[in-house]
Amino acid sequence: MALSLRSIRNSALIVVLLGIPVLLLRSSAQDPHRMSAFDRAVRRIGAPLEAAVSYSAGMLGAFFERWVLQARLQDTNERLAGENRELRQRLRELVHLQEENQQLRRALQMREKVPEDMIPAERVGVDQSPFFRVVNIRIDRGREYARPGMAVLSPDGVVGRIDKALDDYSDVMLITDPRSKIAVELSRTKAQGILEGRTEDSCTLEVSKDYDVELGELVLTSGVDELFPKGHPVGQIIEIEPLVGDQQRLHVVPSVRFDRIDVVWVVLANAPHADPRGEREGPAVQARGLQPVTP
Amino acid sequence: MLRAFVYLMVGWILIAVVGGMADVLSLTIMLPATSVVILTHAAFSQSTTVPLGLFVAIALGYLEDLHQGAPIGTLSLAHGLCYLVLRWASGRLAITGFVLRAAAGLVSALLLDGLTLAILFVLADPLGVPREALLGATGVLHWHALATLLVAPPLWSGLDRLLVALKLDDRPPQQAYWTGK
Repeated sequence: MALSLRSIRNSALIVVLLGIPVLLLRSSAQDPHRMSAFDRAVRRIGAPLEAAVSYSAGMLGAFFERWVLQARLQDTNERLAGENRELRQRLRELVHLQEENQQLRRALQMREKVPEDMIPAERVGVDQSPFFRVVNIRIDRGREYARPGMAVLSPDGVVGRIDKALDDYSDVMLITDPRSKIAVELSRTKAQGILEGRTEDSCTLEVSKDYDVELGELVLTSGVDELFPKGHPVGQIIEIEPLVGDQQRLHVVPSVRFDRIDVVWVVLANAPHADPRGEREGPAVQARGLQPVTP
Repeated sequence: MLRAFVYLMVGWILIAVVGGMADVLSLTIMLPATSVVILTHAAFSQSTTVPLGLFVAIALGYLEDLHQGAPIGTLSLAHGLCYLVLRWASGRLAITGFVLRAAAGLVSALLLDGLTLAILFVLADPLGVPREALLGATGVLHWHALATLLVAPPLWSGLDRLLVALKLDDRPPQQAYWTGK
């Protein structure tokens, strides 16, 4: 088979070309760490290219890393926002529980301070006027315990009286009700009178002009009516209105915020009178509601 | 000649790109052998003479030697021999489509790695390379081949498009590169 000149030339070129790496390998085998001037020149020529590519790749990598970081931050942000919502909700619940706890503590303290026979009741409903004033509240004690006329107190003061006692609940007539009348006295001057409900958020009391009444003076129950225990706060004088004659009318704002009541106390029986001699047992005061009421 | 220059330049750029990306992404073993894909393209396109293709292969191998810090001549010789084998195979096989290009990249990468390890194994003593390290390197060759498999089809298509754009491939575009239709 005849070989063409071109084939011979190509074969020779292939051999020569393969000889180049063989020679390079031989040189490397003699000194593996030596770089020739040609090697250094090639590296010098390629260095800017490699630097540019590395820089671009670095920028791309930094962008990618930042993008991933932002995505992670977004995920973290959403997770923290969810936790924040949950914790805020829990905080609101805790605040509510704290307020409830404080009210219950005050109610318990009141129970320890007041000698009357009382039973706690929870507010289960309110009636409001068209102006959003509370005009009547409903408690969860029915006729088994309560009966009309029993006093209803709260840690802040007098709430009113049982108006209607039904099977499972009772309606309370507030001291601001126009039908309400309570025997009261002023804390400083000791002037006594009958506090009558007037409007949805105030009461009035008429006393003699002989008493030097001041604005802001406290009004307390006098106990004369034997319905309300003596000495419980009822309200505060906010206006003094002189009347024709020797009387003056005092406008009283209740000390109790009826829209914030949760727990009240129903007075079942007044405390027995103190025995000055301390020898005999005091006369038993009949409880008003603990026993089932017989019609 | 110009086509060989394009192969050389593209190969040089890709060597630098792979090095840069490896540095950024902290990759050490799953790096594609882009030079092998270029060699395969050059061999199977048969648009250059064998000596010119061999020159491109040895030059790319030399650049790989410099870049990878291998003993100078190792990858040059491996690339040259790999090109000759691929050129011989190109007379018996045709490569069309993404799958065959990917398979060609995989086989070529394994061939190149095998030749490189063989050269280093033979010259381990004079080059001061421990043979145990060479045996250990055989365990990660599949990652190298797998990365080349993934890179081969897009790189092959890119080379086709570049050669057509530079008017170095006179075939119509539908024949010069696979359009997917």
